[in-house]
Formats: sequence, C-alpha cells, structure tokens
Amino acid sequence: MSFLRIENLHINLGEFYLNDISLSIDRGDYLVIIGPTGAGKTILLESIIGFWPPDRGQIYLEGKDITNDLPEKRRIGIVYQDYALLPHFTVFKNIAYGLKKIEKPGRIREKVEEMAVSLHIDHLLHRKPTTLSGGEQQRVALGRSLIVEPKLLLMDEPFSALDPMTRRETRQLLQQAVKKKNTTVIHISHDLDETWSLANKAAVFKDGKLLQFGALNEVFTRPESRFVADFVGATILTGNVVDNGQDTCTIAFDGFSLKSTDEAQPGTQVNVALRPENIIVSKKNPEEISVQNVLKSKLEEIVNEGKTSFLFLKLHHTKLKVLVTNNAVEQLKIKEGDNLYVLIKSANVRIVKEILAQDK
Amino acid sequence: MGVSALRKIGLFQITFLFLTVFITLVLLLAIASLITVPSWEDIRQNIWNPEMRFSLRLSLITGFISTVMVMIFALPIGYTLSRFNFWGKGLVKTIIDLPVAFPELVLGLCLLLVFGSDVLGGALKAVGLNFVFTKKGIVVAQFFTALPYAGRILKSTFDYINPRMEFVSRSLGYSMFETFLHISLPLAKNGILAATVISFARCIGTFGTVLILAGGSYMHTEVLPITLYLNISYGNMGMALTSGIVLMVVSFVAIFVFERTEVSL
Repeated sequence: MSFLRIENLHINLGEFYLNDISLSIDRGDYLVIIGPTGAGKTILLESIIGFWPPDRGQIYLEGKDITNDLPEKRRIGIVYQDYALLPHFTVFKNIAYGLKKIEKPGRIREKVEEMAVSLHIDHLLHRKPTTLSGGEQQRVALGRSLIVEPKLLLMDEPFSALDPMTRRETRQLLQQAVKKKNTTVIHISHDLDETWSLANKAAVFKDGKLLQFGALNEVFTRPESRFVADFVGATILTGNVVDNGQDTCTIAFDGFSLKSTDEAQPGTQVNVALRPENIIVSKKNPEEISVQNVLKSKLEEIVNEGKTSFLFLKLHHTKLKVLVTNNAVEQLKIKEGDNLYVLIKSANVRIVKEILAQDK
Repeated sequence: MGVSALRKIGLFQITFLFLTVFITLVLLLAIASLITVPSWEDIRQNIWNPEMRFSLRLSLITGFISTVMVMIFALPIGYTLSRFNFWGKGLVKTIIDLPVAFPELVLGLCLLLVFGSDVLGGALKAVGLNFVFTKKGIVVAQFFTALPYAGRILKSTFDYINPRMEFVSRSLGYSMFETFLHISLPLAKNGILAATVISFARCIGTFGTVLILAGGSYMHTEVLPITLYLNISYGNMGMALTSGIVLMVVSFVAIFVFERTEVSL
C-alpha cells in the first residue's frame, strides 16, 4: 500500500490548473517536483494539503481517502519560499503555534527549545521574524512545520530565496531533520543541484500535466520527452540501431556511432539520453582504456557557471554538452577551437522511450 | 538664479503645482474662517446651550453604536470579498459599494421606503424596531452610509495579508475561524483602526440620510449636522458655526489617525 496516492486529480483555478494527475509515493520517500513557472506545482501541493478542493479525483493518505477532509485534520505540513512566518509572534511563538494544539502546555517550551537547537536558531527565540535573515527565517518555518511531526511535509521552493552558502547549510539541516523522523517529503524546486542530495523520486510538470514520474535517477538519465530532457539538462540524440551484440548495441548517428549497454532491435530508430556530467573529455586520444565510446570533437564554447563550466562540443553536425569543473578547464588549458576527445561509457548511453513528435 | 531654476522645473510642473496649492489654499481659507468668524465666548456659550448639548450627546451615542454595528458587519464582509470566490461576487461588491457614490438623500429615501413599508417595516415594528422618524432610524441611516467605507478599507487590508499565513495556520491544526481570530484579525489591526475612525467620522457627519429616514426634528432626532442645518435656517449663525467646528474637529482627528495607519481606501 502506498503512503500517498493521488488518482486522476483535476483542478481548475482559472490561471492555474492540473489535468489528470496520478502518482503515488511510499513512506519515507523524498519526491522532488520540477517544472517551469505556471506548471501547477504549487496548486498540487495546496490541493494535497486541502486548500483547494479538486474538481475530480481522489487523494489517499495511508490508504484513507482524505479528499474531503479539512486541511486542519490532515496533519500535512507546508513550508513556503517566502516563509509565511507570523510577523506578530516571536520566533518561539511561531514554532510553538502548532504544538499548542497537540501538546501539554508544560512540554511546549522544552520541545520548542529542542527543535531550535537542532536547527541552530535557539539564540533567536525571543526575536520577531522580520528582524531575521532569510536563512534564519526559513529555519524557523522548517521548525514550525517539523515540530508537530507531520505525516507528510510539503515544501514550495524552500531554498530559492537563499544565497548559496545559506542554502547548503539549510539543506543539510533539513536532511538531518527529515532522516531522523523518516518524514515523507514533497519538494518543489527549480534548482536541480539542490535536489540531487535530497530526493529519491522526481516528477516533472508542465502546463498542468505530469510529464514524467519515477526514481530520480531514471528521470534524469532516461527523460521520456525532449522537454524533460532539456529541463533536467540531458542531451537527446536520435540514431539508428545497427547491431545488437552480446553486451552492447551499436547506434549510428550523423557521422559517428555509440555503444550502449541497453537492448535495442537492429534497424529501429531510437533516442539516447546523455548526461553532461557523465561525459569525460581528454586532449589526447586515450589508448588502452575501458571506455567503449571515444570520439573526436571540436570545442565550440565554454560557459562558466561559477564552480563548473559547460563545454559545448561539436561532433560532425551533432552538438554535445559536457559538465566539467573550472579546475579541469584550467589544468588542461582548454580553449575554444581545441580538438577534444569525448569519452562516454556505454552504460551512460541510455536508450529512452519514444519521444513524441508533438513534444518540442 | 530664479529664472534658471524656473526653467529647470518647467511649465508643466509649475502649472500642476500651482493648481494643487491654489485649491489647498482655498480650502484652508474656508476652514480658517469657520474658526475665526465666531468669538471664543460665543462658542463656549453655544456649547452649553441645551440644544447643542442634546445634539452632541445624541451624535456621540448614535455614532458610537453605528460604528460598532458597522464594524461587526464590515469585518466579515471585507474578509468575504477578499478571500472567497462565489457566484455573484461582483454584484455583491457593487451593491455594497453603491452608497459611496449614491447621494445621501437618495439613500435616505430608499431606506425610508423599505423601512416604512408594510412588509419589512411592519415586521420590524412588530418586534419593537421602528426606524422611521426615530433615534433608531439615525443609527440605521449612519450604518448604511458608513458601511461601504469600512467594507472597502477592510477588504483591501485583508488583500494585503498573505493568505499563505492562513494556510500554514490551518495546516498546523487550526480551523478557519481560529485562524481568523489568531492570524487575520491581529494582522489587520491597522486596517481595523482606520476603518473604525473613518466609519465614526462618516456616522457623525451623515446628514441627508438621517434627515430623510429619521427626520430632522428639534431636540428629538437632532444630531450635529441637523443642528447646523436647523440653525442656519433660523439665522442663528453662532450655533451653526459651533456644530460645524465640532464636526470639523472629529473629521480632522479621524483623518489624522487614518493617515497614521498607512491603509489605502
């Protein structure tokens, strides 16, 4: 029995809508929801918690139909990007707010202090939220939600307003807190970096529809549509299977071919997904190496992304994106126009489901 | 220097600035003459006049009751218009707002017709509520005149409160009503203060509606604006000016408090 099951959920709020959403997760899962603005991600969270009654469809929590339950009866917590702290309460009162409903008065102070210590905000308990930094406010919001031990924790871009350092710290604290209680989490994010270390499942939304749902690794390495591929940063190439050998199959592209450990019928057309972080580049042609795919390419562009850089390579007419550290760019002294060898393990050449024609 | 400064400001700015300052000065002159024309001795005597004392007392009592009634209704109305979507919401908003643009006399006439009718008026009379040409009628007249102002202020106040705070409260086990009490009301306190002072000022200052529904009868349904009107018609300028000054002080205090709350109308 799945922990949370959503069946054929339809909801229309005019500007935002969800169309026939079905998905289910198990206890202790950490689901990350990604998708562009206006995809209906927030509406999904707010209908799971019960703020918007669905037009059609059911939501089950622990096997019980909660579709018509009031939000206050569901024991689902929510953390927003803008924290939504109560400005007329102190930090202490904010965290204690939900606890007052379920805990004996004598135990509240002790429990709030314990939670505050674990989130490193115990020195802020007497302050008003507006006097705190973004990271501190978000930890207060987290503490307020976690202290009542919700069955399910929903987070709507909780880190997007934080600077990178604070984000890392807050993420670690969240990770500890969630692990300790084995809390089931649904987390909306537009930053894929922050989801890798947290999530085990992923769902991609667009225009109110669920495009793909599955294990995080599956969604990232085997995107089922070009949109999902673009969104998760994978490159999709279309080629023809020319041979299906014992361990690998060979797929021919425009001017080169790749070996993949996935199975495919010779003579059929397939799409493969390549992740930029799974491609290695070398200035010299490496010999006697286990990697099955070694191809010569030309470096067209280097785009610095802070700690890492994207290399845009050209193999004949095909463009390829590779993620490397800035250290590597410096050490290898690579520059635009260089010839580089591309190394891809055949296990990283993933054949993905047929990509629909109408999908852009 | 003066010429070059003028060139920098430009004709457009000068014209607009002049018009603004000109009208402000005319208003200021009008207000000043209200205070400067009568002597302080006159005002002191008029204030202790039995008619004025009756009128002032009745204005304060009716104004207080009406303001309380207005707030009891305007809070749920403002919250409803801000938070809930329902069929016919646009119509409800228009009807409640209507008295803002309605001439007070017409509003009074409408109220007179409905409360003087056999259907509603008769039913209310049966339970001891007669609103036509009575002191109770003053409260009804003031209530309907001031309600749209309070409703609008409170709607815009609730519009500014992030609904996510209320969502979070509900996710933490608080019902809608508890959330309204613990979150929405405390956060709306500036708006509530603004709506209260504006309502009180409107209630105290309502003339046309009171005149038609409650009648402007001497020492019976005589509130401050009625005193001003009656004494003007008798040619008793001292009394008229004194009630004018009292009304002006009330509105000045109301606007002063309102501006401090930083709430938009």
